[in-house]
Amino acid sequence: MALSGMRGLSVFISDIRNCPNKEQERLRVDKELGNIRTRFKNEKGLTPYEKKKYVWKMLYIYMLGYDVDFGHMEAVSLISAPKYPEKQVGYIVTSSLLNENHDFLRLAINTVRNDIIGRNETFQCLALTLVGNIGGREFAESLAPDVQKLLISSGCRPLVRKKAALCLLRLYRKNPDVVNVDGWSDRMAQLLDERDLGVLTSSMSLLVALVSNNHEAYWSCLPKCVKILERLARNQDVPQEYTYYGIPSPWLQVKAMRALQYFPTVEDPNTRRSLFEVLQRILMGTDVVKNVNKNNASHAVLFEALALVMHLDAEKEMMSQCVALLGKFIAVREPNIRYLGLENMTRMLMVTDVHDIIKRHQAQIITSLKDPDISIRRRALDLLYGMCDVSNAKDIVEELLQYLSTSDFAMREELSLKAAILAEKFAPDLSWYVDVILQLIDKAGDFVSDDIWFRVVQFVTNNEDLQPYAALKAREYLDKLAIHETMVKVSAYLLGEYSHLLARRPGCSPKEIFSILHEKLPTVRGVGPMPLADMANLFNSLQLMVCPGLDPNPNNLVASTTFYSESTRAMLCLIRIETDPADRTQLRMTIASGDSALTFELKEFIKEQLVYIPIPPQAPAPVLPQARPTSPPTAITDPGTLLAGLL
Amino acid sequence: MIHFVVLISRQGKVRLTKWYSPYSQKERAKVIRELSGMILTRGPKLCNFVEWRGYKVVYKRYASLYFCMCIDQDDNELEILEIIHHYVEILDRYFGSVCELDLIFNFHKAYYILDEILIAGELQESSKKTVARLVAAQDSLVEAAKEQASSISNMIAQATK
Repeated sequence: MALSGMRGLSVFISDIRNCPNKEQERLRVDKELGNIRTRFKNEKGLTPYEKKKYVWKMLYIYMLGYDVDFGHMEAVSLISAPKYPEKQVGYIVTSSLLNENHDFLRLAINTVRNDIIGRNETFQCLALTLVGNIGGREFAESLAPDVQKLLISSGCRPLVRKKAALCLLRLYRKNPDVVNVDGWSDRMAQLLDERDLGVLTSSMSLLVALVSNNHEAYWSCLPKCVKILERLARNQDVPQEYTYYGIPSPWLQVKAMRALQYFPTVEDPNTRRSLFEVLQRILMGTDVVKNVNKNNASHAVLFEALALVMHLDAEKEMMSQCVALLGKFIAVREPNIRYLGLENMTRMLMVTDVHDIIKRHQAQIITSLKDPDISIRRRALDLLYGMCDVSNAKDIVEELLQYLSTSDFAMREELSLKAAILAEKFAPDLSWYVDVILQLIDKAGDFVSDDIWFRVVQFVTNNEDLQPYAALKAREYLDKLAIHETMVKVSAYLLGEYSHLLARRPGCSPKEIFSILHEKLPTVRGVGPMPLADMANLFNSLQLMVCPGLDPNPNNLVASTTFYSESTRAMLCLIRIETDPADRTQLRMTIASGDSALTFELKEFIKEQLVYIPIPPQAPAPVLPQARPTSPPTAITDPGTLLAGLL
Repeated sequence: MIHFVVLISRQGKVRLTKWYSPYSQKERAKVIRELSGMILTRGPKLCNFVEWRGYKVVYKRYASLYFCMCIDQDDNELEILEIIHHYVEILDRYFGSVCELDLIFNFHKAYYILDEILIAGELQESSKKTVARLVAAQDSLVEAAKEQASSISNMIAQATK
């Protein structure tokens, strides 16, 4: 075990490790932070070595999980140090502690720029690495031209140029305008002629990003990518150091194939033929070997090839080969390959017409639904959902229902939703559909959203033939000892409307039904939402702008706001609250923004606000069914829109 | 792209973190907590991929350390798994049969090496030989500077005796 070469640091680390508990550790850390703070204040007294040591200690403390809210300045200031050891520490600690949103990173831009345009190659590398890892928009604007110069300069060594390629990639991601497309189409093609495989790999990553936004400009790169693939596939001119367990530069192969997936077609017949030869060889020639790493590398290439084949919309024969391969993969013991097999099979569904061939593997996929590995179960669920059609819907939905009883909570919501959608889409008959939804509510009521049971009620309302059956089923469920509150609500509604159709059956007289519902109803926890006017006031106070007139329904409220969170930028968000005047316990909130994480955060924020405001004194009475049906709730809108919201 | 790299011990101690997308300090702590919970509890016979918040996390356990890399949904999982192995092999070569203790006391070296393998969350260099050469060159630069500094201080010490 090599010692760190910085005695003070090693001693500190040992001290921390020797702390018998968290409390002691915190004390030791606080002591050290206090010490560092004092030493930093008196900067004159600090030697470069000491500065380095303290900055590393800071990073170590930060990694332990403590807040290190000072000392960023010192780390950044080390970047301007004249000598390499200190400069290196400054660059590395800065890029680990800070990110592009830290304001005073800006202070370093000039120093960084000087290092990039200067003559010292090692300094150039440090600077390019920092900017490539944490550079933001401002760095992009100031430094992109200099980085581009380095990348295309033949005077620069491969070491610098490969860093410049990835640095430019980052800057491009932060601000696409820094790459002037007109200039770059030729340059990019030239870069692909590079002999050094390190530089080529980095350049290929850059190409992938450029092409993903604009393939038109980079057509000339297409044949070059194919040539590179050919060369690698034949193991031509590949130095030993770039061969990974016998596979020539697998990462470069994968990147090249990824780049090709952004071009809509391969027009030139020669290029197309060469490409398909390479792909065919990969598809047919990738064997399973004992060495795990060689296996992973060769299969990484294989799966990317599969994706490319799917994208190129190859002939039916090649596609069937792919499905056959995938069929093999989903049944192997190795879990990684099984996972990827399922994932890629799902992708195949979306691309091409191989439904029938995939259905042959249904039994194996259903087995995967019960795999001990949750990652594999998720993929299996997605695949089953995608391959469901009229012929296998009953089987698949019934499997999902069965699985629902034993599945873990993380999956139940998704399972219920998917089962409900499939049941509705492919129901062989409506009474089966009603059965399925009621079973869903029974097994996983907590995870069945209101939209789902609104819908089944809607169907029953619109189909007279269904009504006695639905009422009967509802009555049966009420006899169970423990039933979910959603089931009580559904049964209350169905029986309230249609129990008269059952009147002659045992246990179904109006009096009996009334009493059993009354007995079950106290389990219904309802919290009355505040009246719409109060809610509008609340929204205004939260600076959510209420927009009257956007929704003509007087029971709904629509508001808009600009919202942002730590991880997203400010976006316009729309919020709709729908209330149901016939059922005062129901309220539905829908939020739309451009970002699902943001939508979730805004929803949580609003829910919090609604919960903490005291509920107005007029709490609604629980809904009791009447002997004669009343009109159905008017808040149910078109079924299509209801589920559109869900999906 | 790779959004972040995290090395956690079996007890949940963080040995290295590198972030290629902007996460605030609070978010970083949250991420580490969530991932530790998910990954450390996974059995040995399960696959090396977990789905998390719309991303994928590829992880591999080497002795007492879990190496985790977070990627986008449509990235190539096996490719990343081998990037992890590539990093581990390089660490192994550098330290001579690396163990967790090496990474604890020499975490700064682990960062230097990582910076030669990944930039902007993409693979920078797939030749172990080249990476080893570069890191050795950096080490000798630091050594040279130390010697120079100590020889200067010797001269001063002599001159001021």
